[in-house]
Amino acid sequence: MSQKILFKNIDEPGLATLDVYRARGGYGDRLRKALSMPKDALVEELKASGLRGRGGAGFSMGTKASFLPKGQMDKYLVCNADESEPGTFKDRELMQKCPHMLIEGMIIAAYAAGANKAFIYIRGEYQQQAEILERAIEEAKAAGLLGDRLMGTDTSLTLWVHRGAGAYICGEETGLLDSLEGKRGNPRLKPPFPANQGLYQGPTLINNVETLATLPHIIEMGASEYAKIGVQNSTGTKLISISGHVMRPGNYEIELGMSSRDIIYGLAGGPGDGRSVKMWFPGGSSSPVLTGDDLDLPYDFDSMAKAGTMLGSGAIIIVDDQTSVVDVALKTAQFYRHESCGKCTPCREGTNWTVKMLERIKSGEATPMDLDLMASVCENIIGHCLCVLGDAMAMPIGSMVKKFRTEFEEYIEMARARAERELMAGLSSAPAAQPHHPVAA
Amino acid sequence: MPRPEPKTITFTIDGREVQAPENTILVDAAKLGDVEIPVFCYEPKLGAPVGACRMCLVEIEGIPKLQTGCSTPVKDGMVVHTQTDRVREAQAAVVEFLLINHPLDCPVCDKGGECPLQDISFGWGGGRSRFIEPKRHFQKPLELSPLIAIDRERCILCYRCVRFSQEVSEDYQLILHERGAQTFVGTFDGHPYVAPFSGNIIELCPVGALTSRPYRFRARPWDIEGSGSVCGLCPSQCNVTFTVRDDRVLRVLARQNDGVDDGWLCDRGRFAYQAIHVDERITEPLLRDGGTLRPVSWERALDEAASLLKKAGSRVGALAGGGTTNEEGFLLQRLVREVAGSEHLDAAGIDPVDAWTLLDPALQASMQDVEYAHTVLVVGTEPVDDMPILDLRIRKGVRRNRVKLAVATPRPSSLDANAALSLRYAPGGEGAFVAALTAAVYGGDIEAPAAAADASVDEIRALAELLRTGGDGAPGDVVIVWGTSMLAADGGAVAPALLKLASGLNLSGREGGGLLAVPAAANERGLLEAGFAPGMAPGFGETDGEGEAHAVAGIAAALRAGDLTALYLLHDDPLVTRADTHGWDHALEKTTAVIAHSQFLTAGLLEHANVVFPAESYAEKEGTITHPDGRVQRLRPAIGRQGSVRAEWWVLTELAKRLGTDFGVLTGAMASQQLFAAVPFYNGLTLDTIGGKGVRWPADAALAAAYPAAPEARRDAVYAEAAEPNGALRLGTFRSIWVGADVEASPALKFLAPRQMVEMAPSDAQRLGVRHGEKVLVGGDGASVEAIVALRDAALPGSVFLQTGITTNAANVLDGPLVEIRKA
Amino acid sequence: MARNRPVRSSATGHLTGEGLQPVPRYAHGSRVPGWDDAVDLTKDPAGVPDPAVVAVPADLRAQIEDFMSRYPDARSAAIPALRAAQEKYGWCSPDAIEQVACVMRLTPGYLAAVAGFYDQLETRPVGHRPVYVCTNISCSLRGADALLASLQDELHDDETVNLRGFECLGACDIAPMVSVEGVYVGPVESPEEIAELARQIRAGEDPLPEKQLLRRPCQDPGAVS
Repeated sequence: MSQKILFKNIDEPGLATLDVYRARGGYGDRLRKALSMPKDALVEELKASGLRGRGGAGFSMGTKASFLPKGQMDKYLVCNADESEPGTFKDRELMQKCPHMLIEGMIIAAYAAGANKAFIYIRGEYQQQAEILERAIEEAKAAGLLGDRLMGTDTSLTLWVHRGAGAYICGEETGLLDSLEGKRGNPRLKPPFPANQGLYQGPTLINNVETLATLPHIIEMGASEYAKIGVQNSTGTKLISISGHVMRPGNYEIELGMSSRDIIYGLAGGPGDGRSVKMWFPGGSSSPVLTGDDLDLPYDFDSMAKAGTMLGSGAIIIVDDQTSVVDVALKTAQFYRHESCGKCTPCREGTNWTVKMLERIKSGEATPMDLDLMASVCENIIGHCLCVLGDAMAMPIGSMVKKFRTEFEEYIEMARARAERELMAGLSSAPAAQPHHPVAA
Repeated sequence: MPRPEPKTITFTIDGREVQAPENTILVDAAKLGDVEIPVFCYEPKLGAPVGACRMCLVEIEGIPKLQTGCSTPVKDGMVVHTQTDRVREAQAAVVEFLLINHPLDCPVCDKGGECPLQDISFGWGGGRSRFIEPKRHFQKPLELSPLIAIDRERCILCYRCVRFSQEVSEDYQLILHERGAQTFVGTFDGHPYVAPFSGNIIELCPVGALTSRPYRFRARPWDIEGSGSVCGLCPSQCNVTFTVRDDRVLRVLARQNDGVDDGWLCDRGRFAYQAIHVDERITEPLLRDGGTLRPVSWERALDEAASLLKKAGSRVGALAGGGTTNEEGFLLQRLVREVAGSEHLDAAGIDPVDAWTLLDPALQASMQDVEYAHTVLVVGTEPVDDMPILDLRIRKGVRRNRVKLAVATPRPSSLDANAALSLRYAPGGEGAFVAALTAAVYGGDIEAPAAAADASVDEIRALAELLRTGGDGAPGDVVIVWGTSMLAADGGAVAPALLKLASGLNLSGREGGGLLAVPAAANERGLLEAGFAPGMAPGFGETDGEGEAHAVAGIAAALRAGDLTALYLLHDDPLVTRADTHGWDHALEKTTAVIAHSQFLTAGLLEHANVVFPAESYAEKEGTITHPDGRVQRLRPAIGRQGSVRAEWWVLTELAKRLGTDFGVLTGAMASQQLFAAVPFYNGLTLDTIGGKGVRWPADAALAAAYPAAPEARRDAVYAEAAEPNGALRLGTFRSIWVGADVEASPALKFLAPRQMVEMAPSDAQRLGVRHGEKVLVGGDGASVEAIVALRDAALPGSVFLQTGITTNAANVLDGPLVEIRKA
Repeated sequence: MARNRPVRSSATGHLTGEGLQPVPRYAHGSRVPGWDDAVDLTKDPAGVPDPAVVAVPADLRAQIEDFMSRYPDARSAAIPALRAAQEKYGWCSPDAIEQVACVMRLTPGYLAAVAGFYDQLETRPVGHRPVYVCTNISCSLRGADALLASLQDELHDDETVNLRGFECLGACDIAPMVSVEGVYVGPVESPEEIAELARQIRAGEDPLPEKQLLRRPCQDPGAVS
């Protein structure tokens, strides 16, 4: 059994309240220790922990914090709680059950970055979680843990919860910033990176909920102890969300480097009912899919990258052998078409086109040649977009076509035959032929 | 704000070494090496690049992913490839994506032949389509406004038009709805996109999605020619290209000149060309015969005018309107002064000595200074109405360079939202306000003048602090943008106070700071410099005449009194453009001879003119005009004169000849030469050196040195007090951008011709018991005008504002300063 | 509002319903609501509404001004302000947007562009009680499409409910799941459960209390001490 850091006793009654959290050592010596460290030393400590961003990109948290310019200016800390990647729901559990852990982590991160204004951008659908966070922030404010000269130090921090309103793209950090500025959540060109010009053009540190919630524990354990957990380049514990065709869908805290099979079968119970794993997304719906043959891969950043996919947000979606890959592909593509912001051409048009091709496959109007076209369209999207949303559709769809080509071809044949049957039946029974493209008056 | 000082670097593109200023955007830098990188969304005029279209992907050594050339600044030693297979495939892919839903209805598209999408598809596209699904089909074209049609099928969502609306004109009316593949361009709840600069989006659109309704289906690109000139409709004097087909102007496009217009045009400049080709236009000489004006031959008209002038002798007065060129003004002042022996001529209606002191080249700020100044003060003018393109320049400075803007006007300004500080004073309190501000900068009594202007002492102190210290302890260049109408209102006090303010802020001789006058008429500055001002010869020289030289109001009075018997009107009609309509009506009534040049029969001419010469439109004229910042610009004829219209310089020369004086002017260019020779600070200018971009003489040391030293400012100036309302309301006036015979005569623009509205504070409306949208009568004992109540939360209580210059119910008939409001 | 309440059909995601234009031309081409709309030339251009002319209810104004005070740039309050207006009026109607614009000193266009971007802000008249059924991958693998269809059958005549399929709601552990006015419940699988949920939604009762997400313990066995 892996060590529990974030989920340790997470269901303790009243943990969302300040008293219970404090009784567990929250906002205590570790926070005082962090706030008494020189900022540079704190950033070095975070670097030394090897903590990589838990939002999906996996960039070193300490290094990111070190990119912010020094000196007196308005700097911001933004917590990315726009958890929208299909299959991901780990931050939700943290915020809902232990909001103070996030707030404490944000105080440490804000101190390290020199930020005195912080926002938690939480997706609009998480209404209950936002309310829980707001209550926790009120408590923390009342206890002098937030606001001017918090805990009697020279540090000040205001913290607000900012609720989104339903847009996956706002999980992309620059889209989030635009949204937080009250605009349409279109991603921005990079550079400039948020560390230099982020929120309101000021230096901004953006981190995921899980990343920030880990900070108090790193301070408590010490970076070197934390770095001992997990494997090289993937230190610490990671929250993973498992969903789809498994017996026990849910969030689990694991040490990175654990075998995928142990996660999927051991923790989540596998598909059950004698069914087998046909396909799985190892890191949210944006990650290229793996098959039942890949179950013995170690689950960590580097091993997943080596297998041509990614750990992403740590969301594993299991698809069993009873499910058509075409259905999953269409759902996936439809999601990205719906969530594309429309700013850049390849993503806006490419996701739309891909959905139309998959719809043709479903309706029996496609040929196997369309699979090549679809692969080519995906190729034309990858690497050409303003942000990663286009790639996030093209990569899994591309991998599905590649790994399940035979199934796609069979489906195309089957659907064509069905469509033909229906057409013939219609011709023989219909009173008059329908025009191919019905034109309205 | 420091202006960028470029350093030259060397980078490599497609194997050749190219020198470019450091940090130039790669797309632009590539052009220096004759390499074209295709773009759709990139348009430097719109501000920071957005990287939306992805057309400009290129390979840069050392960076694994393809980069957008529109967002990459070049650095020394950068190695760029635009012709590798990877780049070509990426660009072809983007073209394919853009075309999958584009209708390819090029044969019936206005943009066909001048369409970036066509050109780029041809140059960089794969030449085939693999998209076999049905394309999107929608109703088209749809109205976006009476001026603009939108075709959403053709739109490639490059974001240019919405960026213009949001980040350049800042009207924020044109928006994107929905998102992703469903995104479309539109407005809020079906409101039309009507704004002073809306037409620019037509020119920005890289496909045929936004087209000009007046130009739709009028010509194909191979039918037309472009002809560069300058728009003469307002003081902005934007550089334009006329699109000409068969000797008709069919379209006006911006011709970018960063020193003047920054590449933008207002809708009046873009669409009022229609007035050139309307039936209402006068195209032959008219002579009053038995009470009505009838067409006559040129010989007859000239003879008749000459004999009327001869009869009047020296009892002639002359007025010139804003559309008059420098040469025309120069020749008319010769006619009036040398030939008739009169001194009574005026155009601007301001004291020329005031103008002389304030237009001093050492104090002159340029248009670009507005963009880079540390602080800009806008006082006594509404740029969007008075000089529209300046409004965009001020917004640009604030938005891009963080220029600190202060606004001081009686009427709430459209720039208030951008201003670090905006304050109000009572209409009629111009002189007192500037005096108070000067005192706040210089020291002196603030309280009394502030009270006379009904302005807040604290706000004036804050403004002085901002001007003096820049608000952040890092003072820099200050530009004061001031309306010359303030001089007309309270010239005696405003000019010396402004001068004192300028010297208090050390604006004299300062690079990057100074004064910028916003004139009330298009070529007001040029006419002053060409000597078309009472008592002031060309180049602010001394006149030979003796006795008092009447200004506008004096001419009216002298006509009424019978001291003057003839009036020469060059592009002017005092019943339309001047204050005191009743006084002028009476004056024209009494005038024996009214000789006019005009394109349209406006009210005064219809009633009173004896001879009307058909006037050239600005697209037919040759000559020069002078921009408010001192740039002498050249008008070039784009089309032949319509009907039997002849050049004004020719008419004036002919009249002089008939009266016994040979001006020695045989061509338009000769008139320019005479002007350049007569004005010391124009000496040495030629039409060639002026060329397409103009010459700013205040920036030319030799020319500026020739400016005659102005007399000392008056020290005993006493400001007028804004009238005490005592239950009535103070009357302020303004002139909308949409006022003018050209707007009225253009079929497309007519809908914008303003109706009279009375803008007032909610508290006043409540006190008077009138509601928003209600019809009321505004006036005193004598005259009144009908107006619709428009409540303005930001309006100064106790004051109301009415428009001047409109066709009916113009405020010109009211002689203020107080009015009352009754329910109609 | 003269228009009937539009219903989002699950098959195409497009608006259909009585009173709206029938979908013309290509039935399977993409039809986007709004693309066929011309402007109304009798309207004035929509600038920043003048507070002297637009009346804003005091409570809404206070709420919006409170949001505006939280941010260095008041425009950041756009989403919270629109949400507040939507809660008051049921949807982001033109009048609601105009009122927000008046308080925030923005053009209504600015806010309409924002409202149109986000799924939870409704720019067409809908029921004021949002019920979202997640139809994304994990939920659809466990029967979300059928759940949505059943709920549509049950609730189609309730004008107060805005029932729609939604992208991943971040609760794949309780798939298939429903968000009833922000309260997450799931898994909702059996026909009896669906019927009961529909009844509770109609009646405005607490939905499936035993199946609410907030009561669900963490699945990680090691998390329990």
